[in-house]
Amino acid sequence: MTGRRGLVALATCAICAGSGCSSMGVEPWERGVLAKPEMQLVVDPLEAGIDDHIYFSKEASSGGRGFGGGGCGCN
Amino acid sequence: MGATDGGREPGSGQFVQRLAAATCSLLGIGSTVPVLAQEEPTWALDTSFLYYGESDERVQDLSLNVLARRLFADDKVLSFGLVYDSLTGASPSGAIPLNEVQTFTRPSGNDVYTVQPGELPLDDTFLDTRYALTATWQQPLGRLYTGSVGLSFSTEYDYTHAGLNFGITRDFNTRNTPLSLGAAIARDEIDPEGGAPLPLAPMGNIGDLSARRPGTEDKDVVDLLIGVTQVVNEHLLVQVNYSLSDSSGYLNDPYKILTVVDPATGEGIARVPAPGTAGPLHEYRFESRPDQRTKHSLFVQGKYYMGGKVLDVSWRYMTDDWEIDSHTLEAKLRWPLGDRGWVEPHLRFYTQTEAEFYRPSLPVGELPEFASADYRLAPFDAWTAGLKYGFRTASGNEAGIRLEYYRQDGSVPDGLLIGNQDGDALSPELDAVILTVSYGFDL
Repeated sequence: MTGRRGLVALATCAICAGSGCSSMGVEPWERGVLAKPEMQLVVDPLEAGIDDHIYFSKEASSGGRGFGGGGCGCN
Repeated sequence: MGATDGGREPGSGQFVQRLAAATCSLLGIGSTVPVLAQEEPTWALDTSFLYYGESDERVQDLSLNVLARRLFADDKVLSFGLVYDSLTGASPSGAIPLNEVQTFTRPSGNDVYTVQPGELPLDDTFLDTRYALTATWQQPLGRLYTGSVGLSFSTEYDYTHAGLNFGITRDFNTRNTPLSLGAAIARDEIDPEGGAPLPLAPMGNIGDLSARRPGTEDKDVVDLLIGVTQVVNEHLLVQVNYSLSDSSGYLNDPYKILTVVDPATGEGIARVPAPGTAGPLHEYRFESRPDQRTKHSLFVQGKYYMGGKVLDVSWRYMTDDWEIDSHTLEAKLRWPLGDRGWVEPHLRFYTQTEAEFYRPSLPVGELPEFASADYRLAPFDAWTAGLKYGFRTASGNEAGIRLEYYRQDGSVPDGLLIGNQDGDALSPELDAVILTVSYGFDL
């Protein structure tokens, strides 16, 4: 069951990257807003790292945004 | 720290884009902005101080975090991260409150501690210092690819981690659709105080380490990630990641125990320590988890720009072969204040189901293959609410302060309760305050 969910997610990514989303997007000169620091997917890497570490220590889930590996005896 | 506010004039636009790309690489995800050339190498430093404090004298953490990034000409980026954590306080041992005084042997086997009737047993020997180091190198590979390789290492009193990670991003659709692949491997070594307890071994008297396995235990973790980011229009960006994480080896928490109870009443089973020594006054067993766990995560994030304000919304679904399912919903809204400042309210909701082998106590005479009373494997909901204020200094550096409140609320399902046990009393509530102060600057 979980393997099937993974495959669906993989297929979605592949289709999107390949062609499905090619009608979206902007031209290079339209990237003014997207290039702003506050529009980056991770605005603050230190804060993201701190939060990941806290929730990794207190909950059964980790990762998603990036690697969920571990590196801590707290879980 | 976002560190990289456009205030680092002039040329800061390029700087920002380079850092954004480097940041995404560090996290194993794709960036939507091209890395641009920089004539002179520069250092960008982000620093952050964290106070994390739980109520009821539970865990307190003081943490210093530094991220240093060296930006070279020809779009190459070298990054170093350093984290120092100082942990004190107490953590729930897994044992349940009883109507009598409880005595536990400390993990070292050298001493005992006592918990009063009706109180949640906390192991108060939790004291640790942790150092973590990361190093990452990122560079373009031809016109459309960016590659990265990184190392991670961390050490604390009874735990050592060493890891290696790789990432590659290819741009599609005139850089509107970057596709990222990442892989990480890690080997962690655990050297529990007093040795690793044998699975479901009874807690012994002072000096009795016969049910412990001396030496170190280890754990291997493999992470794979595939992610695609799509620029939808000038104001909207969407990312979808699928990740797989496989852990094998020693996955127990060597300090977590279960209370052995009467199958009819749910009360503890009295125990008499051997004459002339001290030990537990009730029966407890150390936990036992499977030695393998596979997690699948689907993560979706959207960023939407609304006339100066930025809405950041994400959802994560996680499922694993321990039968834990979780959902995490998160939203941040960055709201500009004047020319240099901004505020950002933050809400997070988390919910998880229990592991199939989670049980708050163990009926006497019953020895399943796997059992754990760790509250992190229990069913619960959690909320975070917080507010951040950030501003750019006159010199173009960026400072921020963030205060958040975190609350966990759970209740043991009726099916797992025995006799007269009360589901709410067996679920430790958790309240915590998270305070971060951050500052980013260039050298």
